Amino acid sequence: MHLKNRIETKMLRLRFHGRGGQGVKVASRVLGTAAFLEGYYAQDFPLYGAERRGAPIAAFTRISEEPIMERGVITGPDIVIVMDETLLHNPQAMPISGLKEGGIVLINTPHSPMEASAKYKITAQVITLDITKISLDMLGSTILSTLAGAVASRIAGLREDSLRAAVEKELSEIITDRGLLEKNINASLYCFNAIIPVEIKTAGVIQKGSSVITMPFETAEISSPAIIATGNTPLRLTGNWRVFRPVWNYDDCTKCMNCVARCPDGCILVNEDGLPYTDYNNCKGCLICVEECPTKTLGMVREVHA
Amino acid sequence: MEKVMLTGNVAAAWGVRLAEVDFIPVFPVTPQTEIVETLAKWISDGVMDCRFVTMDSEHSMITAAGTASATGARVFTATSSQGLLYGFEMLYTVAGWRVPLVMVNVSRALSSPITLEPDHNDVLAARDSGFLQIHCETCQEVLDSILMAYRLVEDERVLLPIIVNMDGFYLSFTREPVEVPDMERVRRFLPLYQPRHAFFKASQPMAQGVVVLGGSVYSYFKYQMHLASQKALEVYKEVCVEFEKVFGRNYDTIEGFMLDDAEYVLVMTNSFSTIGKAAVKRAREKGIKVGLLRLKLLRPFPEDDIKSVLKGRKAVAVIDQNISIGKGGILHSEIASCLYNLKHRPLLLSFIGGLGGKNISPGEFEFIFNKMITEVDTEEVERCQLLYTEEEWNEMVGLKRIAGKG
Repeated sequence: MHLKNRIETKMLRLRFHGRGGQGVKVASRVLGTAAFLEGYYAQDFPLYGAERRGAPIAAFTRISEEPIMERGVITGPDIVIVMDETLLHNPQAMPISGLKEGGIVLINTPHSPMEASAKYKITAQVITLDITKISLDMLGSTILSTLAGAVASRIAGLREDSLRAAVEKELSEIITDRGLLEKNINASLYCFNAIIPVEIKTAGVIQKGSSVITMPFETAEISSPAIIATGNTPLRLTGNWRVFRPVWNYDDCTKCMNCVARCPDGCILVNEDGLPYTDYNNCKGCLICVEECPTKTLGMVREVHA
Repeated sequence: MEKVMLTGNVAAAWGVRLAEVDFIPVFPVTPQTEIVETLAKWISDGVMDCRFVTMDSEHSMITAAGTASATGARVFTATSSQGLLYGFEMLYTVAGWRVPLVMVNVSRALSSPITLEPDHNDVLAARDSGFLQIHCETCQEVLDSILMAYRLVEDERVLLPIIVNMDGFYLSFTREPVEVPDMERVRRFLPLYQPRHAFFKASQPMAQGVVVLGGSVYSYFKYQMHLASQKALEVYKEVCVEFEKVFGRNYDTIEGFMLDDAEYVLVMTNSFSTIGKAAVKRAREKGIKVGLLRLKLLRPFPEDDIKSVLKGRKAVAVIDQNISIGKGGILHSEIASCLYNLKHRPLLLSFIGGLGGKNISPGEFEFIFNKMITEVDTEEVERCQLLYTEEEWNEMVGLKRIAGKG
């Protein structure tokens, strides 16, 4: 067998980018298992920085016709799956860095490919699909794992039955609700078929001659692992990727402060009238406040960052 | 036998489950925690019959593991890095008790600076302790090595504890195809542990780990440990032969890759050997006669095997994924002492790479090959070289600026 849609080499390297809690690791495993079940050699693994919901995370999957003799992060992917488009503005995440010439970017966005390319200044070939919306419609959640795994499988040229078996295998290790598993299979097959396959025109791995240097000595004033610059955490807006936004209607608010107490991120403050309000810079939209409010003062609206 | 996609951690857990261990004391530490979490779930689900206790620290954990083994139980535990070092004194103690404990270390670079990714300073720090050491390149090898480890150390000629090492992240969290053997086959290979020297029986009380006064008395015990570790070399070979008979996979103290006519040899260990092999393949395509030697059994140090593979080569480059600050690469020193008295010994070069999981790029491998070729010509060998690229340096410049360090 051979990897469909390929021109030269026998290996495909995919990189997934998303945020903690979105299912990036499972997506890479759905793809890895699908490829493995279809008879390829596969290798997949996640890389976390901060281990928390919302923090940028990447996962990697290698698929090959031959035993895989590579390890570690994929710096030159053939395909990048961007599961959260707010990462495209994030200088630490840089999802598209290293994408090989001729490679493909899939972005989870309501934008069209042309709009997304223009907005994010991407020169590579872009495919888009609003998998968050599909997840909300078909699964009632914002977890993208199987859907992202599905689009990746399609772009990689794998078969539908491999994907179905992979979703079944991967999810049955995580959830016991058979109904939810079936919904995931349906949703992922839907996504699989919503993608029009494209040709991946990447050439073999380019041997970038990284030149070896002799490291110069620096005194401990520089070389000790310490940071002198003042902290800049307030500048980091951890709520910029929210999917739902809590909204307030104070008519029935009793100032019980349940919301303030329950917010896991301390993002509900109290104004001079004694009324609680949201720090939208850092609210992640977990909606615990909405659930805990006894008087329905809090509602929610869908928020799109496209 | 069908293969499944497993991480190194889950492969390790399977090795332990198939070995039907009696007792597992634990303490969590990234990146090994998934091993003990997997075992905990199986025990709680009732598919694994074993006692499992969460201790208060790795020091207590290693103590519990060693003492349990001293009562005659088959015991497993796992740790990494800071955890291994936290329990460090107990490593020497447990080894001195002569108990066949199997411990997995998931290698992780040591603080400070604190990090999560792998290198080998943690496991190599334990090389003098009396624990044997097996180092793995693949997830399959992790599972297999745990089974082989119990068979090896429970042999009455050995009876020393052992560390099975795998790289954090690159093996521990990476899924690869692994064949999980069935229990029947494992039972054919691994008999029950039936100790005659260390057990707990009310009718046969004994004192273990006694106090010793007098250097010659102390020396007797230590020398015997060393002699047992030397016996372990021949027992290991027997175990490998048995393992291949039962499971069809062949292992030895070392592994050679494209070595037959190699003039230049790379020496590596653990999971980065895979990328070393890829580099060797690329160099061969350019006509350079290079090969790779992977060290698998590190304690006991397989001196004869290494000598016979490396003698007569033009040059050998040891890539240490570790560093002894103030001296250089640890394995380089060990190989140098092993080759020193050889009549036809190769030039021996030393490189440090992969600290904290730092990638070793194709360009850096090319650099190493070119150095070997050049230094064979000039017959002058440079001192230990710290692999680092211009790109990486530029990244550091940026980070230093952000940190306010100029």
